[in-house]
Amino acid sequence: MSEEKIKQELEDKFVYLKDAVTIQRKGRIFVQVPLSKFEEVFVYAVKQMHFLALSAITGSDRVEYFEVIYHLNQEGKILLNLCVSLNKEDPQVKSVIAYCPSADIYERELMDLLGIKVSGLAQGHRYPLTDDWPKGEYPLRKDWKAHTHHEEAQNA
Amino acid sequence: MHESGDVKIPIGPQHPALKEPESFLISLRGEKITASSVRLGYNHRGIEKACEERTYTQGLYLIERICGICSHSHSTCFVQAIEEIAGILVPGRAKYLRTLIAELERIHSHLLWLGVAGHEIGFDTLLMYTWRDREVVMDLLATLTGNRVNYGINTIGGVRRDISLKQKEDVLKGIDILEERTKYYIELAKNETTLLKRLQGVGVLSHEDAKKLDAVGPTGRASGIARDVRKDDPYASYAELDFKVISVNNCDVYGRTLVRLGELMESFSLVRQVIRKIPDGPILVKAPRKIPAGQAVSRYEAPRGEDLHYVRANGTEKPDRVKVRAPTLANIQSVSKMLEDRYLADMPIVIAAIDPCFSCTDRLISIRDTHKNEKNTVVWETIRLKGIAWYKDRGVDFTALNKKLTKLF
Amino acid sequence: MSIISKIINWSRRKSPWVLHFNTGACNACDIEIIAALTPRYDLERFGVVLKATPRHADILLCSGPVTKQIQSRLLRIYEQMSEPKFVVAVGTCACSGGVFNGCYNVCGGIDSVLPVSAYIPGCPASPKAIIDGVVKLLQSLEEKPKSNKNREATDE
Repeated sequence: MSEEKIKQELEDKFVYLKDAVTIQRKGRIFVQVPLSKFEEVFVYAVKQMHFLALSAITGSDRVEYFEVIYHLNQEGKILLNLCVSLNKEDPQVKSVIAYCPSADIYERELMDLLGIKVSGLAQGHRYPLTDDWPKGEYPLRKDWKAHTHHEEAQNA
Repeated sequence: MHESGDVKIPIGPQHPALKEPESFLISLRGEKITASSVRLGYNHRGIEKACEERTYTQGLYLIERICGICSHSHSTCFVQAIEEIAGILVPGRAKYLRTLIAELERIHSHLLWLGVAGHEIGFDTLLMYTWRDREVVMDLLATLTGNRVNYGINTIGGVRRDISLKQKEDVLKGIDILEERTKYYIELAKNETTLLKRLQGVGVLSHEDAKKLDAVGPTGRASGIARDVRKDDPYASYAELDFKVISVNNCDVYGRTLVRLGELMESFSLVRQVIRKIPDGPILVKAPRKIPAGQAVSRYEAPRGEDLHYVRANGTEKPDRVKVRAPTLANIQSVSKMLEDRYLADMPIVIAAIDPCFSCTDRLISIRDTHKNEKNTVVWETIRLKGIAWYKDRGVDFTALNKKLTKLF
Repeated sequence: MSIISKIINWSRRKSPWVLHFNTGACNACDIEIIAALTPRYDLERFGVVLKATPRHADILLCSGPVTKQIQSRLLRIYEQMSEPKFVVAVGTCACSGGVFNGCYNVCGGIDSVLPVSAYIPGCPASPKAIIDGVVKLLQSLEEKPKSNKNREATDE
């Protein structure tokens, strides 16, 4: 399936995705998905469009909001990047593990490094930080400074 | 599921054989593993955060040191993302040189793996000989790039060193030697019953499971997932080169061995093609210090599988976000499946067979003490030796094969 | 120095048993350490043998930068070694933290935790440098007067 066909299918199926699908270049499609519609789009992409492999989940602090990008691929060829925005005060997202078992570790990383709450994950080890990492410290947030923590570590 | 009544054995984080810290928790019933879980995070160094505080060039130096075995993979993957955002067109010669180093890296990595796998099952002569052969490619990398490991060949916009006629000849000579040796290792893998007994039917990951769990690289290709970023999403000069994607349906450790051996042969062919076809021209174009706002996802077929880098630029000299998803992180999730209902004796080779590169996976160092509730802490070496002894009791003994290999070489 | 001490010292010099510990390194130094043991460089001709447990080792070969978390594990390993024992920092990261100095979670070189007897810089330290460092350490043992600490009986 070509990039143009994928874009067309998404825009036809989901009215709210009109103007939200960008073909950056061959093999790279970026889609801005409203949070409330995320599960719908995700399930469709995985089940109907066969983007069966979840290569990674990237979370980032965009200062005014959090962004989570789900990098899905189809037969390894085309990467469909689904981007959602989460509010800063209470960032929450539902786990996609039911559709992609490999999401587990990527979602735990979102929790540890950015403090994004991912609901629906089973009990398990955190990743990648240690159990005694101080609560409320999220290294990948823009306002978290490494040297402050480093000094505290030295003084501890 | 870890159930009560099973004996739990925590293994790690210090284990001499794998050389990197990580932790596995195994539940045993008798000699069979009923459940396992992996605890990662020991190598987490905070590289992604560090990249945000450094310029792109400084970041490149850091990214290369995510992993010493596949440093060129990370370096190239990163630099490709930046070049895509900035719209930099890298000259053909530079792309070919990147491909050359990439394939030489794959060769060194797969030979390294062969040795480590041999060590895990008690076939130590294989370790000695493959690592001795590996020195041929280490020398080539050192002459071409100035270092045996962590090559520093990439820069934004191209590469930093060119290749001379003499170096081209040396590379071809080296490849000839390695190809002969590899052919022997392939014969070994196909015909030696001791090896077959140890590797076949071990660490099984069905095609369906491999797909569900997104196994990448040789691990996925051994379970019939014929995906290779070099073919699916070509980068550097792969679109102009001729090679096969090696995939088998064995779904076990033996399959992973066959795939890596096959890939070695393909790499030799690729290196020869690169030397033959490399175009003339500059090796570098000037790149801006400030990278315009934009984002890119770069993919690369590292020796262990798909490496993925996401970079977002914001018009300054420093990136806004750098995300690295190394291949081992994708594959480690299959390990629990592979260990299910298998013997403890198989654990070392099953884990070694995904070619784990934990420093690729966790780039922030953290460690946890072995389970506070557990009185049994077993060093990896103990499990490795137990595995070798267990198989010896069942007639799988590498003493004869060790002697045979020594005599031959 | 008593006769016994001289003999023990001589055997220590002639056949040091080494424990390799990776404190979160990128593996480059680690594979060079193993390469030093393979036929081309052959550290074993100096009697160097790689051991699996701290209790059997005379020299602790450390690679990688140290963090607060791995500190306790590193200390424990060091404590389990019997006297006399020596620590060798292999690679620039082990010497000073290297490129990771300043990263959150990284304290610095091995000497922020343990007394280091030899520093082998390099990124990575090449097998030749590793051999050079180990040989220099062995030579220095010849020159230094030994302490009167009783060495635990080996339990192998």
